[in-house]
Amino acid sequence: MKFLVSRYNPDSDAAPYMQEFEVEVPRGMMLRDALLDIKRQDESFSFRHSCGEGVCGSDGVNVNGTNKLACITPVSELKEPIEVRPFPGRPIIRDLVVDMTQFYQQYKAVKPWVVRNDPMPEQEILQSPQERDKLDGLYECILCGCCSTSCPSFWWNPEKFHGPQALLTAWRFLADTRDQATDERLDALEGPYKLFRCHTIMNCVEVCPKGLNPTKAIGHIKALMLKNSV
Amino acid sequence: MSRKASGLKAWAIQRLTAIYVGLFALYLLLVLLFAAPADYADWKAWVGGPVVSVAMLLFVVSVLMHAWIGVRDVLIDYVHPIAIRAALLGVIALALVAMGLWAAQALILVRLT
Repeated sequence: MKFLVSRYNPDSDAAPYMQEFEVEVPRGMMLRDALLDIKRQDESFSFRHSCGEGVCGSDGVNVNGTNKLACITPVSELKEPIEVRPFPGRPIIRDLVVDMTQFYQQYKAVKPWVVRNDPMPEQEILQSPQERDKLDGLYECILCGCCSTSCPSFWWNPEKFHGPQALLTAWRFLADTRDQATDERLDALEGPYKLFRCHTIMNCVEVCPKGLNPTKAIGHIKALMLKNSV
Repeated sequence: MSRKASGLKAWAIQRLTAIYVGLFALYLLLVLLFAAPADYADWKAWVGGPVVSVAMLLFVVSVLMHAWIGVRDVLIDYVHPIAIRAALLGVIALALVAMGLWAAQALILVRLT
């Protein structure tokens, strides 16, 4: 099958360009395998990958215009020629490798840990099964970045808008009954940028390889904010 | 608008005005379809009624507030140089206020004459 992959070496190229490769595709081949085959053909080709089974979140790329995890995307599902580009809107370090610093900064900004004001108990803090159920669809995020880098609001304001990934995480801790920083978290999200740049475009929902729904989480945050302010 | 007010409050006002604008637009459509004023005098009597004139004024204010929040969102998204953004916001704010005053003037004159 014909592959067109984006190449860019900042030392020698003025701009990224597409290079053609021919890859033999056996049944069940994932896109990551095809990229590894391309690397065998040209060892200067660079991309990130690690676990190969959709758990580590390293090999997010833009395939035929959609962000996907290469390791769990069957090549047979893709239309030829398969165009593989780096995540849109991120500075390119080399070929498919992008700089995700701002993405991690936004993650860090929502304080992705349980905040306790009470003294820590001797044992673990218990939750009822119903309380634990609230975290389903939130904790599974692997930080691959498919959602935030497909979000136009994140493209325009990546330094100020938290983006779908960080906002999903913000709701994950707001929804956690063990967390005691609800007011502080909501106050921190106020203003026109951090939360309210979301215009419910829902690209994030469409691309999430884990089937999560950041838009719904953002809706929950807005509803809670409204409830706590009237 | 203060920095504090510009997030949640703007978002909530945008939704609230959307509901009122949607309902009033539907009412307006039904009136124009099934009970359209026949002439100017007829229209004056309808729009000059105490309930309709206040509802209409509220409609105009809602449309303008909704437009202000929407345009402001677009400018925050796309126009990053602060001087250009401020200038555009200023021009749009003045234009919206002018439109509101114009509509209020018309509605008040209808009541007075």
